[in-house]
Amino acid sequence: MTHPSHPVPERRRLLQAAAALGAGALLPGLAAAQGGAKKFAGVTLNVSTFSAAYPKLLQQWLPEFEAATGAKVNFDAPSFPVYNQRADLELSTRGSAYDVVNVTFIYSSRWINSGWLTPLDDFIRNPNLTPADWDINDFLPGARAPETGRDGKLYGVPWTAEALLTASSRFDLVEKAGLAFPDTTDDLVKVLRAVNKKERVAGFVADNHYGWTFVPYLHAFGGDVFRKAPDDLFPTLDTPEAIAAGEYYANLLKEFGPDGAITYQPDQVTQALKLGRVNFTDAGQLHLAQLGDPATSKTIKTVKFGLVPKGPAGRFPGTAVHGLGIPAGSKNKEAAWAFIQWALSKQTTGRAVAAGYGSPARRSDIESAVFRDKQVINGSDLAKLSLESIELAAKTGHMKYRTVAVYPQVDQQLNKAIELIASGQLSAKQAFQQAQANTIAELKRAGARL
Amino acid sequence: MAHALSADGWQAERRRAFLLGLSPSLAVLLLITLVPAAALVIASFTPLSLTDPAATFRFDDPLVNYRQLLHDDRFLHSIAVQLKLSASSVLLQLGVGLGLALLLNGKSRLLDGARTAFLIPMVLPPIVVALIWKIMYTPDVSPIHRALEAAGWPLRSLIADPDTALWAISLADTWQWFPFTMLMVLASLQMIPDEPIEAATLEGANRWQLLRHIVFPYIRPVLVVCGLFRLIDSFKAFPLIYVLTNGGPGSVTEVTNYYGFIQAFNFSYWGYASAIATVLLAGVFALSWAVGKLGWSDHDKR
Amino acid sequence: MTSASTAIDAGTVQAPPARKSIASSVRGWPSQHARSIVVALLLPLVLSPFLWLVQLAFRPAADIFDERLLFVPTLDGFASLLQGNFLKSFWNSLLVSTLSTAFSLVIGVPAAYALTRWNFKGRHRIALWILVTRMAPPIAFTIPFFLAYQFLGLQDTVIGLAIVYLTFNLAIVIWLMQTFFEAVPAALEEAAWIDGCGVWQAFWRVALPLTAPGLAATAVLCFIFSWNDFFYALILTRTNAITAPVAIVNFLQYEGWEWTKIAASGTLVMLPVVVFTVLVRKYLVRGLTAGSVKD
Repeated sequence: MTHPSHPVPERRRLLQAAAALGAGALLPGLAAAQGGAKKFAGVTLNVSTFSAAYPKLLQQWLPEFEAATGAKVNFDAPSFPVYNQRADLELSTRGSAYDVVNVTFIYSSRWINSGWLTPLDDFIRNPNLTPADWDINDFLPGARAPETGRDGKLYGVPWTAEALLTASSRFDLVEKAGLAFPDTTDDLVKVLRAVNKKERVAGFVADNHYGWTFVPYLHAFGGDVFRKAPDDLFPTLDTPEAIAAGEYYANLLKEFGPDGAITYQPDQVTQALKLGRVNFTDAGQLHLAQLGDPATSKTIKTVKFGLVPKGPAGRFPGTAVHGLGIPAGSKNKEAAWAFIQWALSKQTTGRAVAAGYGSPARRSDIESAVFRDKQVINGSDLAKLSLESIELAAKTGHMKYRTVAVYPQVDQQLNKAIELIASGQLSAKQAFQQAQANTIAELKRAGARL
Repeated sequence: MAHALSADGWQAERRRAFLLGLSPSLAVLLLITLVPAAALVIASFTPLSLTDPAATFRFDDPLVNYRQLLHDDRFLHSIAVQLKLSASSVLLQLGVGLGLALLLNGKSRLLDGARTAFLIPMVLPPIVVALIWKIMYTPDVSPIHRALEAAGWPLRSLIADPDTALWAISLADTWQWFPFTMLMVLASLQMIPDEPIEAATLEGANRWQLLRHIVFPYIRPVLVVCGLFRLIDSFKAFPLIYVLTNGGPGSVTEVTNYYGFIQAFNFSYWGYASAIATVLLAGVFALSWAVGKLGWSDHDKR
Repeated sequence: MTSASTAIDAGTVQAPPARKSIASSVRGWPSQHARSIVVALLLPLVLSPFLWLVQLAFRPAADIFDERLLFVPTLDGFASLLQGNFLKSFWNSLLVSTLSTAFSLVIGVPAAYALTRWNFKGRHRIALWILVTRMAPPIAFTIPFFLAYQFLGLQDTVIGLAIVYLTFNLAIVIWLMQTFFEAVPAALEEAAWIDGCGVWQAFWRVALPLTAPGLAATAVLCFIFSWNDFFYALILTRTNAITAPVAIVNFLQYEGWEWTKIAASGTLVMLPVVVFTVLVRKYLVRGLTAGSVKD
């Protein structure tokens, strides 16, 4: 609104009004009413997620939200491990430093079931806060399930539902060697042996969050993390299947990995594939979609995608869901909900998909033509592959291990075990037996009943 | 101000005035050091974990954390790593600092400037030092790696290799702290009296003999104090590990301070982490006492 | 005190006044110049990691992975720091360091004066206490402070951080100022007392002005120690009071390490400290060994 002593030129007023109107269209019920007072004028919202493609887009579009609601938004997006540590610390003490947080998939059960987040059902049902066509049921049921607590209430609205897929950045080398895209774990080793170090391209790398990237192989060999999550939490990390899987996977890194493979973070992996320095990896579309970006990807013409390899026990692609939630200690819950509602409205998610975002959680987006078109990279249909994987995961339920509140501690043990084997410090058997012993100690310390 | 009426009254007034000046400091120090330390020790007697604070703040088994510590391989390993890191980096720092001090102990504008320039690593914010060495140790951007590769001796990533990761951190730590020893030895070198040196020179002693028989015995106490000081400070090592290796690969560079950090701030096991911190604090206390004794008694000797 | 111990009192690293160095007393010209040559070679070698960071800050972002040594310097790295949180964090660092220094001086200088002029036993014990507070691993204090601050609402505030820094700064102030006050002859204050001044008037009018350079150096050292802290700021700040060293860590992103930003922010963050150090290098030894060596 204009200040009496500082008349704003007509044009600027028009633009402001247009922006507010535009953003207001995304926030029905908040559009200027009652004399034009903005609903959350003077409120400062603190939002934090880890740095990823969708939050990056949101950060670009923030001014529209701010213009429509009058709120000021501080959007903090550090790296994944830093974010998780800070969020966990803040939530555990029910602090009010953040109003909107990312509900990270491996922590979702821990945070939700300790009562550190606010249930969102009332906000969703309230017609004054959420327009009718926002449609919570448009979000995949498989994506909403991890965000639901044991009490049946929803604590987070998913912004990404992604599955682990295998990508080859230099598929031309595979074809030159006369081989096809690897389907089984044995195939993978054969292909890697044939293409490793050809044209100075290393064979395989994976982001060193092995509690995420290794588990599909653990399952493929017939092993599992717990005996029967979430009821029987006795860990099964020292079974012969688990050890075999660990040895296989660590060997991939040792034999075919680039220098320093075990220090690779997700962004380094994406970068390495974009530049064509490494050939194969397993990653979610959140990252793989970037390989189709003509501006930065040098391998856009030689890239190919497929499902994660099948092992003796079957194919078990990992899936992950991240959502936006409201901490229990937040002092601006209504404003926080307005933000979440705007960030995940059909218009905003549709806009993201049109901008090339690769792993939406709304069925309407996944089935939209825009999305399917954008996700066909060099002949591989990323969208189809990830949907297949997500449906597979929903059927077999092999992601239940992640819904356990004590998973973060086990996650760390898996990371260390693979690191130890790949760096040659311990044999697979020793590393996994150590992981098993440490996990039991951690579970006991966390009060889990074994 | 009031004129003193009697010597006693004046003394008492003085004492009161001093007490007035001293008490805010004592009160503040008490509040921000002793009280938290006490809270720490108390918390270490509980299995306090923030996933369920009410249930876990109990004293039924006060030594539970300490018992677990004794059986915790990761903790015991972290102590071994800490000792390895401290020993290697302190010895290297002493060596490099001593060498540079001997080299720079002279009178010229170049040496004067050099003495100031060599201070830089020590006063940089530790996080900046960590970033500098992150760049040095990342093969993609490191000038060292690229130069070696161009010369035909390609070097694999030092921080990803369990055999070299700890040495890499030790090297970075030495680079950061050698100026400390250098400063202290330089100050001490300037206090060596002239007469023994001149007498020995007249008798035909060469430089090496001078160093061995006059200089070293003189600066040895300073080296010892320096070493102990750096030893205690080395227990605080954090930014280097946080940025360079995260305690890895595996647990090769996971020192006790870092392990405590993970337990407290990654998993909110505050009771357990308090126990770890208490153990660290006890160690620091013992070593500080030793330093204090040596520092004080040394002065009395002179 | 002998003149020699005065030298270590000042912690000076300047050249010895009128004595020959050991080397020149044994041999003549060649040895002296060999030394200079070695120093001239060693200096850039030893400082090269630091210099590399600074030059990286001026590189265009696309050239980071480039092989060439020469490049066209650009301020883009610094310009990119203007968006986002970095400026705010820099300002926070300034604020916190200044506040913490001010608190420490206001509380600590009178205490140092009292300890100097008032002979009482237990000085050794206080020295030990000071040493321990300065040496204690931060984790020992962050756990209780974190909980306390949640309760008091001081979490993520500049004031809260400034108070925490008192744990090491107060000790430094008391220790250093003690040594400076010791160098002021008590006779001057006693003369003031006879004239009718109270203890603290004498302090303000006589003792304090004489220790002005020492006071300035102490203030600068406190500032440097506060500025450099990482651990406390990492745990006790979120978005409001985030300081520069912690903000840099934010540039180690999930999506890609922005090396130019890291280098530029690193260069900016260390600039004040390096400048200040050159100003107070005479007193660095004393500041860093507080609590251990009696002067």
